[in-house]
Amino acid sequence: MFNNYKLNTYVMRALIYLILAILVIITITPIWLLIVNATRSTVQIQQGIAIIPSTHALENYNILLGRGLNLIQGFTNSLFLAVASTLVTVYFSMLTAYGLVVYHFKGRVAFNNFIVVLVMIPTQLSIIGFYQYMSKLGLTDNYAALILPLIANASAVFFGRQYFESMVMYDLIDAARIDGASELGIFHKIMMPLAVPGAVTMGIFAFVSSWNNFFTPFIMISSKEKYTLPMLVQTLRGDVYRTEYGSIYLGLAFTVVPIIIIYAIFSRYIVSGIALGAVKE
Amino acid sequence: MNLANLKRNYYGYLFLAPFVIAFLIFGLYPIYNTVALSFTDTTIMSKTSHFVGFKNFERLFADDIFMTAVKNTWLIWILNFIPQLGIAMLLSIWFTNSRLNIKGVGIWRTIFYLPNLLVPAAVAALFFSLFSYYGPVNQFVVRAGFIPEALQFLQDATIVRVLVVFIQWWMWFGQTIIILMAGMTSIPIPLYEAAMVDGATSSQMFNRITLPLLKPILIYVFVTSLVGGMQMFDIPYLLTDGRGSPRSSILTNNILMYLKFSSSKGHIGAASSVGVLIFVMTSLCALAIFYFLRDRDQQSQ
Repeated sequence: MFNNYKLNTYVMRALIYLILAILVIITITPIWLLIVNATRSTVQIQQGIAIIPSTHALENYNILLGRGLNLIQGFTNSLFLAVASTLVTVYFSMLTAYGLVVYHFKGRVAFNNFIVVLVMIPTQLSIIGFYQYMSKLGLTDNYAALILPLIANASAVFFGRQYFESMVMYDLIDAARIDGASELGIFHKIMMPLAVPGAVTMGIFAFVSSWNNFFTPFIMISSKEKYTLPMLVQTLRGDVYRTEYGSIYLGLAFTVVPIIIIYAIFSRYIVSGIALGAVKE
Repeated sequence: MNLANLKRNYYGYLFLAPFVIAFLIFGLYPIYNTVALSFTDTTIMSKTSHFVGFKNFERLFADDIFMTAVKNTWLIWILNFIPQLGIAMLLSIWFTNSRLNIKGVGIWRTIFYLPNLLVPAAVAALFFSLFSYYGPVNQFVVRAGFIPEALQFLQDATIVRVLVVFIQWWMWFGQTIIILMAGMTSIPIPLYEAAMVDGATSSQMFNRITLPLLKPILIYVFVTSLVGGMQMFDIPYLLTDGRGSPRSSILTNNILMYLKFSSSKGHIGAASSVGVLIFVMTSLCALAIFYFLRDRDQQSQ
């Protein structure tokens, strides 16, 4: 009977590895095809599927450039927007989260609940009113309209609060107070350096969500030289590029590969960060 | 608590001030403005606008296209959420089972999560290219002899819907695994050991220990997925022509709102009413999830 039990476990384990392998193939194949096709010429792509990259990436890039689609500019725009969004999100969300954890002021519990409600509010409820209001202020087609709202980033504050709550820090704060440090000084000079791992995780998520955002810039930004990469992807779907398969794949790879590189470097932060938002310590 | 501490707590307001100010300007006022606009006939071009009461909403309910959008959004969300939760649950159970002792859990998870980080707009455009008439999928199935000639995948209402469901599943099952696993590993192991001593089977342990203790996590997964699913835009917008073609099969709420917004006159009043309705619908369902899952928990105690 024991042997039977052991055998079952072996069969089960083999089956599980098989399923996992199939899921990995499903996960990777579309991404791999994208990267490979970005380096192949349109003629090669029409001839069939390949799994080894070719040498036509630069050629594909020049075709796009020749038709007025500047990937480098889109990349620079996306990068600027993502970096600015990250800095604003991390600084202000950590500030708010720290204030919520450390100070026991009146209305703190209500504010905590309020943050959770804000996380749940969909973009649709505010986007049209936001657009009209920004156009009155003359801020449409301006990156400020995409960056400034992040000072009040509810999901980042939620994350930061979970992070600060898991840190033991009251003794340290009291010691700094005795040494005469100001409250803001304690946050800037002592707590922020200690909270770097949390800030990095928060920053990666802020960066990725800005980099990936299509809907809001699509509504707010109108001039072509301010287009971000996801907006250029939308123009790639146009008729001008219809038969330039290699170039289309290259344009898509341009938007996707930077994120894959970031993930390769920071995957541990990212994977542990997802759970921190969901599981209460 | 002494007086100095009490006074010091006022600093809390200082730390929260930037958030509150930015929220009032960029969060609350736009919400108020959207709700106000939804009761008017405002267009982008017009200088004047009139209060029209519930007319925008009445018109939406009378219009088949709104009902189609609501139906599509729900259908696509449910069809992707069930396999997403099911597969994630199964894999999480396998990954956390010490008897099975699956190797490389960290690596599997890291790979499965990858699609979630990719630019959704690019993912939609990628699947458009892969499934287009001259695309690799047609090349593969024709040459392998599965079908005699290439298919127009993206002109078939059912196939397009299945594709959106698949892409959503592909992008989100990895994230659900990570969250469920975090929940499962936070359940104290002695609970399982005690159950095993009492001779419980693994399905009994799952039903009586894992599932009840996982409830808060399940509510979280459920509600965040719902809120996200009701806002679906990038994938269905960029997979076909941006109007939910063919035959409006992937026209979602958000695409409808965008179509009203970007119509020749720019009916932002009507677009706002779509946004408001989606919000009301989503919140009611989220509250229902909270209510039903909480209620049962109390009864069992």
